[in-house]
Amino acid sequence: MTSSESSGTSQPRGGLRSDQFSGLMLLALALYVGWANLEYPIGTLQEPGPGYMPLLLSIFMGTTGLLIALWGLKSAPLSGLQWPEVMRAIVILIACAVATLALERIGYRLTVIALLVFFLGVLERRRPLPVALVSLGFGFASFYVVGDLLHVPLPRSPWGF
Amino acid sequence: MAETFQNLLLGFSVALQPSILVYAFVGCLIGTLVGMMPGLGPLAGISLLLPATFGLNPIIAIVLLSGVYYGAMYGGSTTSILMRIPGEAASVMTCVDGYAMTQNGRAGPALAIAAIGSFIAGTFGVIGLMLLAPTLAEFALRFGPPEYTALLLMGLFILAYMSGGSMLKTLAMAAFGLMLGMIGIDVMSGYTRFSHGLVELGDGVGIVPVAVGLFGVSEILLTAGAPTAPDVQRPKLRDLIPSREEFRLSAGPIARGSLLGFLIGIIPGSAHIISSFVSYGIERRLSKHPERFGQGAIEGVAGPESANNAAASGAFVPMMALGIPTSPVTAVMIAAIMVHGILPGPLLIQQQPELFWGFVASMYVGNVVLLILNLPMVGLFVNLLRIPYSYLYPCILCFCIVGTYSVSNSLMDVWILLAMGAIGYVLRKFGYDLAPVALGLVLAPMLELSLRQSLAMSAGDYAIFVTRPIAAVMFALGAALFVFSLKPLFGKGGDWRASVGLDSEQG
Repeated sequence: MTSSESSGTSQPRGGLRSDQFSGLMLLALALYVGWANLEYPIGTLQEPGPGYMPLLLSIFMGTTGLLIALWGLKSAPLSGLQWPEVMRAIVILIACAVATLALERIGYRLTVIALLVFFLGVLERRRPLPVALVSLGFGFASFYVVGDLLHVPLPRSPWGF
Repeated sequence: MAETFQNLLLGFSVALQPSILVYAFVGCLIGTLVGMMPGLGPLAGISLLLPATFGLNPIIAIVLLSGVYYGAMYGGSTTSILMRIPGEAASVMTCVDGYAMTQNGRAGPALAIAAIGSFIAGTFGVIGLMLLAPTLAEFALRFGPPEYTALLLMGLFILAYMSGGSMLKTLAMAAFGLMLGMIGIDVMSGYTRFSHGLVELGDGVGIVPVAVGLFGVSEILLTAGAPTAPDVQRPKLRDLIPSREEFRLSAGPIARGSLLGFLIGIIPGSAHIISSFVSYGIERRLSKHPERFGQGAIEGVAGPESANNAAASGAFVPMMALGIPTSPVTAVMIAAIMVHGILPGPLLIQQQPELFWGFVASMYVGNVVLLILNLPMVGLFVNLLRIPYSYLYPCILCFCIVGTYSVSNSLMDVWILLAMGAIGYVLRKFGYDLAPVALGLVLAPMLELSLRQSLAMSAGDYAIFVTRPIAAVMFALGAALFVFSLKPLFGKGGDWRASVGLDSEQG
């Protein structure tokens, strides 16, 4: 459920609102960009430097972030936002990160097979036979289509596999 | 007119070559499948195929990718009608009455009208592209840096105005996208900005990892734990024929949806999504029996489906004529053309007539292919929907990773993909529209370059934007829309978006 959806269903209570929180986060990001931009010359109006546009953007984003926070009083309470799938999302992201680290080390096929075995066997608790068939089938078939037929260079393992 | 006809003949001589026909068919087929799969919209489909087009000639590459684009528009309607699952965001409105028709036992006519409406709208859109793009390109030859700055800023303000959500949030997301576009080497000074010592970021952040992360990965993160899909109806060919009354009721919505969709398609933003929302709102408002909407009104399928297909064609007008993407999809397609050393813009139609007219002609061919694919073979396609989502999403994720990696064989792109997936997930939770991020990223280098060149031309005088007539008109239009879009923040009265249903979440 998004904040806009939840705002329609929950009654206003005390505490930080979702739009206030997100607006302040945008303001913080804008301040960070403004600070990091100090490294680059702003230049002059006649000859704007590499820091000119990022400065304009950080001011613009900071202003919109502030306005979102100010107008966010009627948005859903931050505590009312529902995150039922967040743990699964984090696990998926971590698995993908591990696969990214492995991709150039153990090659495309082994990485994809391992990733699918994890998703289907561990996360989704599917039966071993379909897991094995889908993982192996997808790993080899996708390599054949993408790598061999479409000639896209995909990483191979040190063992040439 | 005679010249246009001659050019079109040239286009057909290109598009009817067997190799191009095969790729048009393959593109449409992949697009239809991609459009049907939740989590894989046209953008993800095009991004994943992008590396495969590097070895093809540019005409084949663009024909293949555009086939995926409008194929996905067609395919998205099937899942919406049969399962109430929008394969891609533009089909959200089709779910409402399309699924109600399925429940009433009229799935076949709903699918048929969606396919016929899409065909008519797609063909109308191609005619519009054919007539409008060369004229616009000729006009755009008068543009200098101030005009391009004004055009890009006007586009961003139109995007904010047309956006379904909060205008402030849309502008903030556009600014976020523009900031992402600042990463990498500044072409005017040679400075490497915001790269934090990572050499791979010197070339900047690519559109593919950002777009696939924001739209594909974030969707999977949101839906991965969802329960498996319900049973799917499998309509037979003879059930597809709509009644005479259904044809009569659909004619007006298809005509209006085609025109409306094409016009909205030219405007920056998620045009195909917005056009389907606006079309649905208008049809409901024009109907003598608005209470039928939501209960299985065929106008609620015909209008939005026509509109989103016409918008897909309309989006090619600024892409081809001005070299400016108005959506993340056209941004990726521009990247695909540029890989071949071709720069889309006002000179493209003059310098590469075979490419432009071959592309236009291939769209006519593609629409016929899609009509053939979508009607008789719908029973075959729905088998895909029987695959449990718990099997589908891991495979889609693998495709996202491999597709992103293979664009430039860079693991940095995969890290950006994952980061954007996480950011997109959080932003969607907080009700932010993600299209402006992708659009801002693509427009950032053009906007920065044209702004700095304009200021250099005028010795730092911002008046250059109001003293040149074309730039002044575009600025005035952008400023007017900006002021209009601020109105709901201060007044109690709603704006036009609420009246056509655009205040809803756009998925």
